Amino acid sequence: MPYLSKIALNPRRRAAVSLLANPHRLHAAVLGGLATQPVTERVLWRLESNTPHRAEILVLTENRPSWQHLVEQAGWPDADGGQPLIADYAPLLQRLAVGREFAFRLTANPVQTVQRPVKPSEEQLQRMKNADTLEKRRGFRVAHRTAAQQLTWLLTRTERHGFTIPATDTGTTIDLDASTAAEAPAGPAPAVSLIARDTLRFRKGKDGPRVTLSTATFQGRLRVTDPVALQATLLGGIGPAKGYGQGMLTLAPLLQEAPHG
Amino acid sequence: MSGQAVLVLRLAAPLQSWGGPSRYNRRDTQPQPTKSGILGLLAAAEGRPREASLTDLLGLRLGVRVDQPGTLLRDYHTVSDHRGLALPAAKVDAKGAQKKTGPAKYTGVTQRYYLQDAVFTAAVAGPAALLQHLEHAVRHPAFPLSLGRRSCPPTGPVSLGLHPDTDLPKVLEDVPWQASAPHRARFRGAQVTVEATVEDPAGDLTATDVPDTYDLKTGTLFSQRTVRHLWISLPTGQQTTGQAADIPAGRTDLGHDPFALLGW
Repeated sequence: MPYLSKIALNPRRRAAVSLLANPHRLHAAVLGGLATQPVTERVLWRLESNTPHRAEILVLTENRPSWQHLVEQAGWPDADGGQPLIADYAPLLQRLAVGREFAFRLTANPVQTVQRPVKPSEEQLQRMKNADTLEKRRGFRVAHRTAAQQLTWLLTRTERHGFTIPATDTGTTIDLDASTAAEAPAGPAPAVSLIARDTLRFRKGKDGPRVTLSTATFQGRLRVTDPVALQATLLGGIGPAKGYGQGMLTLAPLLQEAPHG
Repeated sequence: MSGQAVLVLRLAAPLQSWGGPSRYNRRDTQPQPTKSGILGLLAAAEGRPREASLTDLLGLRLGVRVDQPGTLLRDYHTVSDHRGLALPAAKVDAKGAQKKTGPAKYTGVTQRYYLQDAVFTAAVAGPAALLQHLEHAVRHPAFPLSLGRRSCPPTGPVSLGLHPDTDLPKVLEDVPWQASAPHRARFRGAQVTVEATVEDPAGDLTATDVPDTYDLKTGTLFSQRTVRHLWISLPTGQQTTGQAADIPAGRTDLGHDPFALLGW
């Protein structure tokens, strides 16, 4: 039975700052909340930035977790509003039906695989030399960097994840770069916008290898086309870097748009 | 009509600047219109010269409601001589010509602060006869009206009319929300709570913005008045009835709450 949890971290505490600075450490802390070790299940988590002065982590786990260690070290122990929320995720999974619309939010790491990078690093050049033929070699995973690419990345894979993004009611454009907005086809834009974009740079451990992730946070409206596929997506995530807080799709009720004018 | 009335003004503009007692190279703006600025606007509408007496206006009581707070703009402003000469000093020589600054100063830097896209509702309470005259003057101004600085002309009509036989807080509660359409679109729900200050002898705050004169030769000296701070709830004119199927009652937040679907 899956569980959704929300843990509030106090950014004024040293332990919280350390966790928030490095997704590698935060992932370890999140996995520490599960009693069956080593953890073999798929755990999805995401850093939420809804509220100032507190950092909230959403976690989706298969088994019931315990977040006392996080609250005691990096939260507000015994404070009002400091206790983590843990809710059963099953009601939502049962509510999915074809044609139903929800608001969604997704922080993901949009990537593509290319055979020949435009500017290969030394490591990549070495690997390209070592492989005998093109067929034998694996491609290189490269992040999508522009807003337009990141948005296209999401729109091309919604169908296989069991949902579509309908057109906006108002027909307003999405926040793409000015150069790409001209190339976008006319007509109502899909009801999704990029609310945040970031590049995460951190090390695995003290002297470990560097990790660089290009992330994008999408928010909008989706319509269910395949409940079974969408269930799998909600539990399994979208895209790579799931260990680093990417790929967790969350649904929320649609709020009525505020009237304009 | 009894002796008292309230004149309501709508102060909206792309730029406003309510200086208060700031001087020299840094010209601040207060977050709300000052009494000096509003009395100056009324005096300009009447066509009073700068040296004219203000004693009849000083007794008016001022209430200000912040319909849309606006944002702060800093104008970093430099002044220099295009010929590359040093700037003149305030001192004059025997012939009456300005001396050069010594040590030579080539660039003067000033900072001017403005409020962008702010909307205020100001209410002025006082004798009915005087306010009736001022209301006519604001609709037929003798000098161009401006919101704090001459470079800040108001958007739209300034006067919202005269309210006889009421008191200041009542008027501020009754006048509809004056915020612009983009600002309204950020709010959901039937009510919005805005800040207001009302001039009140029993108030607990003081504001140093009562002018003695606008005469440029003597400069303006500001004295204090006591004000009271309050919060006013206004109807936004929006319906809160959302899609009844999924929205729990009373949910008006803009954030994304994944727990809302989990029977929480």
